[in-house]
Order: sequence, then C-alpha cells, then structure tokens
Amino acid sequence: MTRRGLLAGLVAVLAMAGGAAWKFRLFAKQYPPTPYDDLLGQITDREPAIVFGQAARKSLPGAAQLAAGLRRDRRSLAERAAAEPGEAQIAEVAGWVVPQSVAFYAALAAQA
Amino acid sequence: MSGFQDARTLPRDTVLNPDLAIVGGGPAGISLALALAESGQNILLLESGGRTFEADVQKLYEGSQTGVPYIALDGGRLRYLGGSTNHWGGWTRPLDRIDFESRKGMSYFGWPFARNAIEPYFARAQSLIEAGPWVYDEADKTMSDNGPLLRLGPGGVYTSWFQFSKTRDNNLPTHFGDRYQADLTKAARITPLLNANVTAIRLSPDAGRVTQLDVATLSGNRLTVKPRYTVLAAGAIETARLMLASHDVMTAGVGNGNDLVGRFFADHPIPRNVATMVVFDGAMSPFYFNNVTLPEGAVMRAVLSPRPEFMRAHGVAGSLTTVENEAKLDPFATAAVVTTAQALGVDASRAKAYSLGCGMEMAPDPDRRLTLGTERDALGMPRLNLHMTISDDDFVLFRQTLTELGRQLLAAKSGMLHISYNRRDEWLAAMDWGNHHLGTTRMHNDPKQGVVDANSRVHGIGNLYVAGSSIFPTYGSSNPTLNLVALTLRLADHLKKVMA
Repeated sequence: MTRRGLLAGLVAVLAMAGGAAWKFRLFAKQYPPTPYDDLLGQITDREPAIVFGQAARKSLPGAAQLAAGLRRDRRSLAERAAAEPGEAQIAEVAGWVVPQSVAFYAALAAQA
Repeated sequence: MSGFQDARTLPRDTVLNPDLAIVGGGPAGISLALALAESGQNILLLESGGRTFEADVQKLYEGSQTGVPYIALDGGRLRYLGGSTNHWGGWTRPLDRIDFESRKGMSYFGWPFARNAIEPYFARAQSLIEAGPWVYDEADKTMSDNGPLLRLGPGGVYTSWFQFSKTRDNNLPTHFGDRYQADLTKAARITPLLNANVTAIRLSPDAGRVTQLDVATLSGNRLTVKPRYTVLAAGAIETARLMLASHDVMTAGVGNGNDLVGRFFADHPIPRNVATMVVFDGAMSPFYFNNVTLPEGAVMRAVLSPRPEFMRAHGVAGSLTTVENEAKLDPFATAAVVTTAQALGVDASRAKAYSLGCGMEMAPDPDRRLTLGTERDALGMPRLNLHMTISDDDFVLFRQTLTELGRQLLAAKSGMLHISYNRRDEWLAAMDWGNHHLGTTRMHNDPKQGVVDANSRVHGIGNLYVAGSSIFPTYGSSNPTLNLVALTLRLADHLKKVMA
C-alpha cells in the first residue's frame, strides 16, 4: 500500500467517524430521559433553551401541564413558531418578544 | 422706522404704533414677519434678547418645578434672536393626518381642522427651515440605492422618514436669527426691536381688545407699544407666562377666562435605550442609524412609526423609534436569540443587535401646567412654576408599539426585539426630553376647551393671536418646527385678510 493510499484511507475513516458522531449526536450533551422527550427533541439546541427557559418558566405552569398543552396542538415547534407571530400568539419573557411556543418549550426544557 | 433697533437706546416712554406687534423673534415670529413683509402693514418684531446669547437675558427664563423631573425652565430654550432654533437638532417631519383627528377613548385628542388646512403651507415652511426637497415617506421609492428597508411582517409598525434642516457637510440646522437677519433688515416695513421685553398685555375695559403692550429693558428703559394687532410668538412657556401675568382686566390672565392658559403643557419624552433589536442576518441599512443625503439634497433618516390604523385600533399615541448603536448581547440574551432563531429555522450566526431610542407623544393632560409663582425676575415679571406629569398610560401605549414591532420582526423571520423597561421608575430613570414645548394655549373651537380658535385668535379678544407650538392641542410625534412654521404661514394669510 502506498503512503498516499494510506493517507486517503485514514481521511475516509475519520470522515465516516465524524459523520456518525454528528448523526448520532455522540458528542452532544446527553440528557437523562424525561416524560417530555417527544417535545424536547424538537429543540435544536437545548442548552440555550434551558437558560432562556429559566426566565420563561416563572410565569408559566408546571412541566406536566405545559407538556399536555403542547401535545394538544398537533403542530411541531417549528410550525407553531413560524405561525404564531402572524396569529398574534406571542409572549414576553424578561423583555424578549417571542412566539408563544418558544416560551413554552424553553420553560419545559428548564423544568425537565 | 425700519431695520434693527435696540430698545435700550430709544428715548424713555417712546410710544410705538405698529399695525402688528409680534412678540418673540423665534421661528414663528420671524416667519410671520417675513410672510407679511409685503402686506403693506408696519410690523414691529419684539425680541427680548439681542443677536447672541447673554446670561442676564437667559436668566429671565428661570422658574421652579414640581412633579416628574424635567429640564430646568431656563435650560431647554434660548432667549435671543432666532429663539430655540439656535440649538435645535434640525429633525423635521410633517404631522401625520391622524395627529389632527379626535380619537375614540382618547381624551382631548384632535384639532379643529384636518391636516389639509395646513398642507398648502408645508412647501414654504420646508423652504424656510431649509430642509431641501419634500421627500419624507416618498423616500421608500428613492432610497433603494442605499439599502433595503428593514423586513417586517404585516402589522402596525412601518418605516417612516425624517428630513433634516440643512445638516449638510459641516452646517448646523438653520438658525433663524442668523439666517434671516438680512431679510429682516431689508424689509422696509419690518422693525425688529431687540432687547425689548414685553411685560404686560393691556386690554380694553371690556377685555375685547389689546390696547397696549408694556415693554421694558434690563437696562431700565420703558416703552409702550400700541398695535392694531398683536401676535404672541414667544414659545409655549413664555407666551403662557405673559398671558397669565397680564391680569389687570381679566383677573385670571389674558384669554384665561376658562382657566386653560398654561394647562396641557407637553414635550416629547425621549427615553434612551428603550429596546434592543436583533437582526438575524446582521444587515441594517445605513439610513436607519445615520443621516443619508439623497442626490437632490434631502437629508433623510428612517425611523419606525405606528401606522394610523394600528393607532386607531389600539388607542396608541404617536411615536418614532430610532435605531441608535450596535449593542452587545449578554449570555441570557444570546440564549434568547439562539432559541428563537432555531425555532424559526433561521440562521442567526451573523446576528447583530442594535439599541433603539424613541420620541413619544404624550397624551394631553390639563394638570401638566404652568402657573405663576411668587418669585419675580429682574423685570418684575412673576416667574413660572411647571408641574410636570407623565402618565403610566403613555409608557404602556408606547410599549404596545414596541411589542408590535417585535411581533412583526418575528413574523418576517428577520429579527426579534427586547423591550428594556416595564416599570414606571425604569422609564423615568432613562428619560430625556425633546425640548419641544407644546400646548399651553391650545387650539379649540370651543372657548371652554381651548385658548385660541381655529384661526389662532385668542377667544374673546378681537386683535390678539398666538403663533407657535403652544397652540397644538394634540402633539403628534413629529418635531414641531416645520409644523409650527406652516401654521404660522397660515396665520399670516389670515392676518392679511383681517388687517387689510
């Protein structure tokens, strides 16, 4: 085997490993399972959501009640967040004007 | 007698008999004099100060205050030829049509006429303040070379436009005294009389006419002016003071039979850093935070204003929200932006934040008022006390406009908004003022609700008029100079008819 071939193989292996790590979120922070993972899984990056959610949760109900409300609406977080400003469904969290669902999901993340 | 005269050098007890006496050589007084220069009437323009700032003259403005903290009464205005245009910022925009409307559920709002009554005078007013060609909200069509408008979803806030008086290159906005001194000198029938303080308006025994103005100088000279007509154009504070202090015939003061003179004082609150606007793609056209000059010479700046439909539907007062400086986001703010942008499916990796400022319209309040105090100035005139108020509703209503702006940013997926203040003490701690003194001799057809009628004539007094922003019954959020000059030109047309 030539040195060039060896190098190419190594690069390919590293790329596959990187792809797998990304796909299966091997290096992402792992959270213990919760009863709300069907909802929390829709949050792309949970860490900032938890930070933001600490403020959001102050004026919102507990996790179980929040989750029940979110499940009643069949739309995903992305669908709701996109639609709510047009429907005047907005919330104010520590001065930030956000789609209502963003406040709900963040509050859930902070409580889960 | 024509050309500039100095009241200190006229013989004591001189009696002057002009057709028209204009009290005050600021933008209203000078505009009025120039507009009537060819009318065939002899005009005496009485200015308390000289051609430049003098501390002793300025001290005549001192007064006391109660209520909400406000700028000292000698701090926000200038008492010499040109008046407060000697320190104005040059921001200019016509009042909007809705500013003239009475509005359901909003007490004291509305003018006795629609905006079209002063529209014919805007072009000349624009020329007098040297704000270049009339563009304003037509700028949407012409500014595309300078970048796109902020993307907002459908709703109650839109990009509106201010122009500027002559702030080109190193020029300051037009100072009316400097700029129009030569024109006043040239006008054969105008006599600007400097250092001439009107200390009393004397009425006929039936209070139906002005018979005489008492004039004093700080050097001790005394003069008498016996005009056929008088226009008070001394600014919203000093005009009210002179009317209140002239109480030998009307015991509550000239034109104050219904206890309205001095009430409804207003200014534009301009609290700082009212909000932070995050733009997800980081792009913000320069005309939002800097003045941009169009090829034809208009100097423009974009602001964010509530639409009339939104104002009517929500009972919201006027406001203008300005983009100020780039701002930094703390970790919590960054978390808010990341969480929201990800939920919206938007890339916020290049997001930038900008602090927002504003100018607000206050709701008219009869208790926000000027009254005579017990102290007297060097001329023996009673000093004023200002009782300043600002209602919680003013903040709540402006907050609604900010919330709407935030909603529209989200709807367009272009950005988001953080509102800085919620409590009254937070708003007050950030408070600054526009120094736009308004409303103390408000205009209304009903003498029980206004000091002057729709022609700016003091109710019940046949030959006394008021010019300037003191007649504004509702204030809008536009800076007043262009509008008060337009109103003054309208008054000039009226006077040409009645004085002929």
